Amino acid sequence: MSPETLTPLAPAPGGDRDAPSSATRTDGRRRRRLPRPGRVALFLTLCVLSVPFVFPTWWMVTTSFKPISQVFAFPPSLWPQDASLQPYRDALTLQPFAQQYWNSLYIAVLVTLGTIVFSSMAGYAFARVRFPGADALFVVVLLGLLVPAEVTIVPLFQLVNRFGLIDTHWPLIVIPMLGAPSVLATFIMRQFFLALPSELEDAGRMDGLSRFAIYRRIAMPLARPAVAAVAIFTFLHSWNLFLEPLVFLSSKEMFTLPQALTQYVDAYGGPIWNVQLAATTMTVVPVLVVFVLAQRQFVQGLAHTGLKG
Amino acid sequence: MTTTAPRPSATTGSPVSRRGGAPRRPWLTYRRRDNLTGLLMVSPQLLGSAAFVIGPLVAVVWYSLHEWRVLANEFTFVGAGNYERLAADPGFHDSLRATGLFSVGLVVFNISLALALAVMLDQKLRGTAVFRTLFFSPVVVTLVAWTIVWGFLLQDNGGINAFLEVLGLDGPNWLRGESTSMLGVVVVQVLKNVGLNMVLFLAALQGVPEELKEAARMDGAGPWRVFRSITLALISPTILLVSIITVVGSLQVFAQIAVLTQGGPGTSTTVLVYYLYQQAFQFKEFGYASAVAVVLFGIVLVLTLIQWGLRRRFVFHES
Amino acid sequence: MGTQTTTRRRVTRRRALPVLALPLTMALLAACSGGAADADDAPAPGAEAPAPAEPVDLRMTVWSANEDHLALFDEIAAEYVEANPDLVSSITFEPLPFDEYTTAVTTQVAGGNPPDLAWILESTAPEFVESGALVALDDVLAGTEGYAVEDLNPDALSLWQSEDQLYAYPFSTSPFVVFVNDDMLAAAGQPTGRELLDSGEWTWDRIQEVGGAVKQATGNDGFVIRDFEYAQWEILATVWGGFGASAWSEDYTTCQLDSPEMVEAMTFLHDSAFDAAAMPAPGTTADFFAGQAAITVTQISRASLLDDSFAWDVLPMPEGPAGQQNVIGQAGIGVFANAENPDVAADFLAFFTNPENSARLGQYFPPPRVSLLTAEQLKATNPLLSEAQLEEVVVQGLEGAVTKPAHPNFAQIQQAARAELDSLWTPDADVAAVLGTTCERIQPLLEQ
Repeated sequence: MSPETLTPLAPAPGGDRDAPSSATRTDGRRRRRLPRPGRVALFLTLCVLSVPFVFPTWWMVTTSFKPISQVFAFPPSLWPQDASLQPYRDALTLQPFAQQYWNSLYIAVLVTLGTIVFSSMAGYAFARVRFPGADALFVVVLLGLLVPAEVTIVPLFQLVNRFGLIDTHWPLIVIPMLGAPSVLATFIMRQFFLALPSELEDAGRMDGLSRFAIYRRIAMPLARPAVAAVAIFTFLHSWNLFLEPLVFLSSKEMFTLPQALTQYVDAYGGPIWNVQLAATTMTVVPVLVVFVLAQRQFVQGLAHTGLKG
Repeated sequence: MTTTAPRPSATTGSPVSRRGGAPRRPWLTYRRRDNLTGLLMVSPQLLGSAAFVIGPLVAVVWYSLHEWRVLANEFTFVGAGNYERLAADPGFHDSLRATGLFSVGLVVFNISLALALAVMLDQKLRGTAVFRTLFFSPVVVTLVAWTIVWGFLLQDNGGINAFLEVLGLDGPNWLRGESTSMLGVVVVQVLKNVGLNMVLFLAALQGVPEELKEAARMDGAGPWRVFRSITLALISPTILLVSIITVVGSLQVFAQIAVLTQGGPGTSTTVLVYYLYQQAFQFKEFGYASAVAVVLFGIVLVLTLIQWGLRRRFVFHES
Repeated sequence: MGTQTTTRRRVTRRRALPVLALPLTMALLAACSGGAADADDAPAPGAEAPAPAEPVDLRMTVWSANEDHLALFDEIAAEYVEANPDLVSSITFEPLPFDEYTTAVTTQVAGGNPPDLAWILESTAPEFVESGALVALDDVLAGTEGYAVEDLNPDALSLWQSEDQLYAYPFSTSPFVVFVNDDMLAAAGQPTGRELLDSGEWTWDRIQEVGGAVKQATGNDGFVIRDFEYAQWEILATVWGGFGASAWSEDYTTCQLDSPEMVEAMTFLHDSAFDAAAMPAPGTTADFFAGQAAITVTQISRASLLDDSFAWDVLPMPEGPAGQQNVIGQAGIGVFANAENPDVAADFLAFFTNPENSARLGQYFPPPRVSLLTAEQLKATNPLLSEAQLEEVVVQGLEGAVTKPAHPNFAQIQQAARAELDSLWTPDADVAAVLGTTCERIQPLLEQ
C-alpha cells in the first residue's frame, strides 16, 4: 500500500505530450496501412458507430426548438418545423434557471480554485518536503480514494445539518475542496512534483527562497500541465454533482444545474420535454464548445485523472 | 495560510542544518522551518480528510450499529441488528442482484466496445481524430443532461421507437420492461464513458512495438492471431486495470437510475447506492442505510485493493 | 512502505497521530452526536400556554402552494398575532412540494429544526401519531374557550389518536368524488353521468364500458384515477372499496392485498387499462380538468380546477360488486414537541381550528365539525357547487367513509408494494400471483 506503488496514471512533468493524441500523429511508427476496401469498410463502420454518440446531442438541440405538439410527432423530424424559442423562454421562467446556472458556475469555479491551491500545496509538501511523518500522513489522506462519496453521505448530511448548513452552498464548496474528491488531485500533484528535478529547487534555495516561495515561484509555474488536468476534472466533477445537491439543497433558488434539469415537470410529475431539453442544451453546449477547443487538455486531463472521478 | 511561510534569513539560509553546531544556534533551523512549512502546507488537506472522510467513515460504521428513529428521536444500539435485517431483506438482495447485473453488463459492453473502437482508431485512416473526438465527447457532457436526453429517446413514443417504426419495427417500452430497463441504463452509461476507456486502450495499443507484430507476421501468423497473441497479450494488464476501475465506478451509479427509472420497474434497477438513498433520505432509516453504506464500502475496498495490487504487479505502460 | 527503514517508520507514526487526533475527534463528535439530540422538553399536557419571555415566531409547513389557501391562512394568523402580541410576533406558512412533503418534514425534524406545526398526510398519520414527536392536543383544545370539542366528529378523529389522546387535528376531511365531462360523454354517444346515476347504472363496470367507448369514439381517455400514475397505488382504495377489499387489517398487521375481493378489484383495473382501454395505460397522462378525459376520481377539493370550458357534473363514488363505499382523504395538523414553543403552537392551533375559523377554512377543507357539515353551511363558502351537489357528494359522502391505507411504516411499505405492483401493470400479468407476491413482500414490513 505504499504510495510509491500507486503511481502511474498521473501526467509526468513536461508531459505536455499526451500519449493518445500524439500517437496518431506519429508517422515514425511503421504501421501497416489497410488495403483500400478495408479502409472504406472501417470508415463506414466508424460512421455507424458514431451515431449513438452524436445523435442524442442532435436530437436534444433540435427538440429544444420544437413546440410541445411536435415533440412526439410521427414520423420523427430531424429538423424542427416552426422552430421556436418559446421552450428557452419557458426554461428561464419556470425556474430561476439563470440563478441556478450561476450557482453551478460559481461553485465549480470556487471548488476548482480551492482544489488547485490545497492539493498543490499538499502534493508539493508530500513530494518534496519530506517532513517527518509525511508518508504516514499521505497514506491517511489516500484513504479518501477508497471512500466513495455515497458511503459517507449519511454522516456528511448529519454533519452539515448540525452546523445548520442545509440548503446552503457551503457543503458543495468545502467538502469537495478538502474531502474525498480532492484526494485524487493531491495524488496527481504529488506524482508530478516527485518527478521534478531537484536542481531547480536547489537553485531557488541558493537564492535564499523559502520553501513556500520555492513552491509558489518555481514548482507551481512548472506544474501547469498537472494543474490543467486537475482543473478540468475538478470542474467537471463539481459541475456534474448530483447526489450531494439532492441531499443538501431544498429550495429552487439554491439548486445547481443537474438537479434543476430534473425539475421541469408538469403538475403530475411528467416532464415538459421541449423545455427540459432547452435547459439541457443550455447546460451542455457551452461545455462541448470548450471541449472541442481544448480537446487535448480534456482528453489528457480526464484520461489520466478522471479514472477515479 | 499563504503568509505563514517563514522567510529564510541570512544566518539560517544554509540548506543543511549542521549537526552539533554552535550553542547559540536558533531553535528554528532551516530544517525545522522546512518541516513546519511542509506540515502547514498539508494541513488543510489533512483536516479536510479527517473531517470529511475519516470521521464520516467511522461515523457510518457507528450509525450502522444503531436503530435510529428520526421522528421519535431515538438512537438505540442494536449491535449487528441492522446487518441481520439486511441479510433477510429481499429489497437488499434485489439491490445486490441489480448492482451485479449492472456492473457485469457495464464492464462487458464498455470494455469490448472501448477496445473495438481503440483498435479501429489505431488504424492508419483519415479522420480518426474526428472520430476520437466524437466518441469522447459524451465524457464531458453533464451526466444528468446525457441521461435526460436518453430518457427522452427511450420513451415508448420517443425517438428510438419512432425511428424503429419508420423501419417497420415495433420497439419495446424500454424503461418499463424489467430486462430492457436494465439494458437501457447500461447502454446509456456505456455510451457516456466508453470514450475514456477507449483513449486508455488507444494509448496502450500504441505502446505495442510494431516490430513484435511484424515478427509474428513473418512467422506466418494471420491478423487475428497477431492481435490475440501479441497485442491483446501485451495490453492485458491495461484491460484488467481498466475493468476494475470501471467496476468500482459502476458501483457508484446513482444519477442515471434516479433520472431514468427510479429503480424500477419493480426493483429491477434499484442498485445499491439507490437503495441506500431510498433508505436514508426517503424512509429516514439512517441506521439501516448506514449498514448498506458499510457493505458498499466493503465491496469498493476489496476491489480497490485488488486494483492497487495489480498496479503494483504490472508496471502500467503509458508511453 | 517497502523501502523505508524501521526507524523512520516509527518516527512517522508517532508524529502523525497527534496531528490527526484533533480534527478527527471534532468530526466524530459532530457526526456522532447527530442521533441523540435532546428529547426531554415535551410540555406537560394541559398546561395553559405560558407566555414566553418574548413573542415568538411560529412556522407551519404545508403542502399547498395555492395562493388563495395561503392568503386565508395568513389572514387567520394575522388575527391571532394581533390578539396575542405577547405570545407571537409572526406566523409563517412554509409550502413544501407535495411529492416530497413527508421527506422534507422529517428531514427538518432529523436536523433538529422541526417546524412548530406541520400538515400531516393521512397515510403517514400512524407514523407521526405513534412516534411521540407530536404534542397531545386534547387538553389544549378542551381548555380553549368556545372550541366546542363535542362538535368534532369522533370517526374523523380516530386515525389521529393513540391511546385516547389526539395528536393531530384532521383539519381537512375531504371525500373522494367522481367528476364527469358530460360534453365528452355526449360526443361519444354515451349517457351523462347523472343519467347513469338516476338509472341505477352508476357502477364501476358501467364506467369501464363508457370509458372504453369514449376512448374509441373520441381518442380521449375514459376514466382516470387521479394521482395514481401507476405508482401511488394507495389511491386505488377509491376503487377497491366498492369491491369490499382493503390493503391490510385494521390493526395494521396482516396484508390483505391477496384477498379474493382485492384480486377482483385489481383485475377490474387491469382490464380497464389493457383490455377495455378505458383507463390510460402506464406512461401516459390525461388531465380531466384540461379536457383530456371523460371521468375522473379525485377529492372534492379539486373542484377549484374546474372552469366553464366544458359541461361537468360531480357524482358520488360508484357502486362495486360489494356496494357503494365512501372514501375520504384526510390531512391533519400536528404540533412538534421538539420545536421551541410547543405550547404557543398548540394554542395557535386551537385558534386556527375554532368553530369560526373552521367555517372559513371549510371552503377549501371540509372540517371535522358536525355542525359545519351541512349543505347549507358548506354552500355559504363554496360558490362552485350547488347545495344539492354538496349534500349529495360531501355530506353524504362522509357517511361511513373509510380512509386510504395508512401505516406507521407507510413509506417503506408503499415503496415495496409499488415495486411489486409494477409487474401488475403489464398486458399479460397474472393479477392473483402478483398480489400474492406483493403480500409476501410487505408482510414483514407490516409487522415491523
